[in-house]
Amino acid sequence: APALAQAMPEIRWRCASSFPRALDTIYGAGEHVARRVAALTDNKFRIQVFQAGEIVPGLATLDAVQAGTVDCTHTASYYFVGKDPTFAFDGTVPFGMNFRQLNSWLNAGGGREVLKPFFDTYNVVSLQAGNTGAQMGGWFRREIRTVEDLRGLKFRIGGFAGNVLAKLGVVAQQIAGGDIYPALERGTIDAAEWVGPYDDEKLGFQRVAPYYYFPGWWEGGLNLAMLVNKAKMEELPPLYREVLESACRDATIETMAKYDRVNPEALRRLVAGGAQLRPFPRPVMEACYRAAMEVYEETSNTNAHFKRVWEHFKAYRETQLQWFRVAENSYDSFVYAMQAQEQQARR
Amino acid sequence: MTLDMMPPLMFGGLVLFLLLGFPAAFSLSAVGLFFGFLSIEMGFFNEAFLGNLPLRVFGILSNDLLLAIPFFTLMGAILERCGLAEDLLEGTGQLFGKVPGGLAYAVILVGAVLGAITGTVAASVIAMGMISLPIMMRYGYDMRIATGVIAASGTITQVIPPSLVLIVLGDQLGKSVGDMYAGAIGPSFLQIILFMLFILGVSIFQPHKVPPLPPEALQPRGWPLYWRVLKGMVPSIVLIFLVLGTIFLGLATPTEAGAMGTVGAVFLAVAQGTYSWKLLREAMGNTMRITSMVIFILIGATVFSLVFQGVDGSHWIEHLLSHLPGGKTGFLIFVNIFVFFLAFFLDFFEIAFIVVPMLAPVAANMGIDLVWFGVLLCINLQTSFMHPPFGFALFYLRGIAPRTVLTRDIYWGAVPWLFLQLALVAIVIVWPESVTYFIDHGPQVDPSTVTIDVPLPEAPDDDAVPVFR
Amino acid sequence: MKALLAYSHAVDWISDKFGRIADWMVLLSCAISAGNAFVRYGISYSSNAWLEVQWYLFAGMVMLGASYTLKRNEHVRVDLLYGSVSHTTRLWIDILGFVFFMLPAMILLTWMTWPFFMDSFIRNEGSPNAGGLMRWPVKLALPVGFALLVLQGFAELFKRIAVLRGVDMGPDAFLEYKKPEQ
Ligand code: NA
Ligand code: NA
Repeated sequence: APALAQAMPEIRWRCASSFPRALDTIYGAGEHVARRVAALTDNKFRIQVFQAGEIVPGLATLDAVQAGTVDCTHTASYYFVGKDPTFAFDGTVPFGMNFRQLNSWLNAGGGREVLKPFFDTYNVVSLQAGNTGAQMGGWFRREIRTVEDLRGLKFRIGGFAGNVLAKLGVVAQQIAGGDIYPALERGTIDAAEWVGPYDDEKLGFQRVAPYYYFPGWWEGGLNLAMLVNKAKMEELPPLYREVLESACRDATIETMAKYDRVNPEALRRLVAGGAQLRPFPRPVMEACYRAAMEVYEETSNTNAHFKRVWEHFKAYRETQLQWFRVAENSYDSFVYAMQAQEQQARR
Repeated sequence: MTLDMMPPLMFGGLVLFLLLGFPAAFSLSAVGLFFGFLSIEMGFFNEAFLGNLPLRVFGILSNDLLLAIPFFTLMGAILERCGLAEDLLEGTGQLFGKVPGGLAYAVILVGAVLGAITGTVAASVIAMGMISLPIMMRYGYDMRIATGVIAASGTITQVIPPSLVLIVLGDQLGKSVGDMYAGAIGPSFLQIILFMLFILGVSIFQPHKVPPLPPEALQPRGWPLYWRVLKGMVPSIVLIFLVLGTIFLGLATPTEAGAMGTVGAVFLAVAQGTYSWKLLREAMGNTMRITSMVIFILIGATVFSLVFQGVDGSHWIEHLLSHLPGGKTGFLIFVNIFVFFLAFFLDFFEIAFIVVPMLAPVAANMGIDLVWFGVLLCINLQTSFMHPPFGFALFYLRGIAPRTVLTRDIYWGAVPWLFLQLALVAIVIVWPESVTYFIDHGPQVDPSTVTIDVPLPEAPDDDAVPVFR
Repeated sequence: MKALLAYSHAVDWISDKFGRIADWMVLLSCAISAGNAFVRYGISYSSNAWLEVQWYLFAGMVMLGASYTLKRNEHVRVDLLYGSVSHTTRLWIDILGFVFFMLPAMILLTWMTWPFFMDSFIRNEGSPNAGGLMRWPVKLALPVGFALLVLQGFAELFKRIAVLRGVDMGPDAFLEYKKPEQ
């Protein structure tokens, strides 16, 4: 079958992940893509995934894909907001859309098309490959009761959310990774955030900063991306391209399913281990919301790409939120309330 | 030539290139590039792959944990120049004056204290070496004992929290840094005891190697001496508490504590009247050159390990590991011997990144406590800093030792301590409680009894009529 | 030969100057780091810009100081064999080392890090952290540092060739490899 052999050449890619292997859910999404691709092409198209630091540091993978020194990266695009804040829309933004809504925007709502000219300038193609769902708000040494409590709060938080919180007087502190635990333990910083219960549990912060706040309004559903070098993508035989795209979609469902399985159990263990669950007070959330909207407007005034994407994103979000309030939210809130009643009755 | 021949060839090449005696930083990058171009020629990867180098170099330069190196080196350089550190060691030495090995005990203790402040071996070995080597030489210590005890005491820092090695291992094993730190406490005390016992042994069987202070250096006992000793020791102890204290009070991160220590050292030098502009100027220059030298070794090593990744070095190691014997103890013994030998060629970063992720699932399946496993590996990896001739601690020591110190002495001096570290590995294998006892297991509540019940938003007003437009 | 030595002399001067700058970066980064801790503790103020400037200065001292460190012959060696061979053999090891080990690697790294810097410069790349710094100044330190090493590498090479050819340059032709201390 020489014709078939020609259609299915041996191709080997290197994928530099932005994540350590120990983050098995997130890192695992990249490996899931690799496994599916190999299985669907009878091992002809193989992607080798390297954890952060093995080929390049986790925050430098975009540079590597852009320059073609690796073929693709499994990452969260918002790591690159320093290059351009527009990257955030491919990951997640404060008070943005949840998994379902973002998924819709990217795949059916024209989000992918709106982002394309932007990604073109970096010579990459972005494919959706995983999601964490809504994240937690992180670990605090003291309680946050009022908006005033945010003033002077030394919080290890990166990216866009840092800019939003800075408006409310939070001191966003990107101290060295290895310093976080001892600094949080001794109060050099007051708070730090990571992902959700399952990943947070491994860091052991509940022992030194027991107040575990929710929700992580800056990450209402973090989209993970497979960023592929554009030329490499175009060189792929059409079949392989289809396979890669399908495998990435598959990984999205797979990761979300896995997170929803492991997070509830991990949260129970954390609470059993002394974590104190706390919701951000409503006035705090409202202040943060308004600050976030200000940041969007300010950034739009200085960045044309950002403005173009934000306007599209904002309009889509509005339609989505209106609709989700009707059936999804009514259904959800009712069921949650009834289950809560049963739960209280049992006690 | 096939792909799987490349990793062992690279190890061989590494030894040859380094032995030539050209600066290690450039030899490391040369051996990496040599095999890199060979691999391109053989089609194992293309030229573009080497384009990852700038990103890796930038990754090293932007790693803010490495800031501890210039900070603690500057502190050490100031202390050494203004005679403060000497006073600390002299003071301790005078107290142990008549005891053979007194200075060596002092070095081990100071190493442990320094280890509790800093997390990087480079910072600790350099500071220790600058402070204590000249004193030990002056009082006639055997050169091999002197260099060995300094290198070994300098590497204690990576078992005593805070520690870069424990952070990296915790990250790779998916265990919390807090647990790793707690687990390492027991073994680090055991190690200090083991080191002191060794010096005790030397002082009994070969007392001429660790002479007590000569009678003319020994001051007559009495208040004048105690007062002088106290005056010599107090400033340094104040300084150490300043560094630890700022971390403890939540004033500084462990990295910043190094900078606080430097500020403290300047103040102490001023208070002692030994401060001069020239002193600070020299200390700055010295620190700059040592930092540059150390980081360039890491830059050279990163060229090597990029190519090693490119030729599937990790697969090669995985293959070696596939013939593991069964059983917990058998597995642990094999793994530790394997890591010990690997540590001759790879530094702890590479071992942590390449080997540990392959070992962790196997260990977890065998029901081995991963914190215990990580601490074991940490102790074992300490040897990777001490292996002649490529151990980084020995490089650093060579970099700051006076010319009269023979390289041969540095290498031979390290050997007995390697065995002590291996002995500690064995002890921790047969006595896991030395690790697990210190781990805080938290409040013991059964997770299955926990109900998560967060407040719901208030129920909508019954009378509210939805509006559609 | 004379021209080559004049070149070496000029490069020594340049490396000296950059070495001075790198020295100051040590003190500055240390002072800023201690200052950060005090200010954060005292008045709960801090910023990522002040945190980032610490490692900018760290990168600066490493890259800008490397050529001066090379001039002082203080990059550490495995001198197991090197320490025991004759002076001439050592000269030859150095010459071969510069030609085959050091210069190709440093030229390659200079060439590779330049576009790395340019991309950041053209895009005006910032920090991903709130209130952080522009990235291009620190990325510029890479090609500059590697280029300085190339210049100094040739300078050291020429000095050794001159000594080997019997040019009498006095005892201070270049520094013998020795400890950087005392
Ligand atoms: Na998060
Ligand atoms: Na330590």
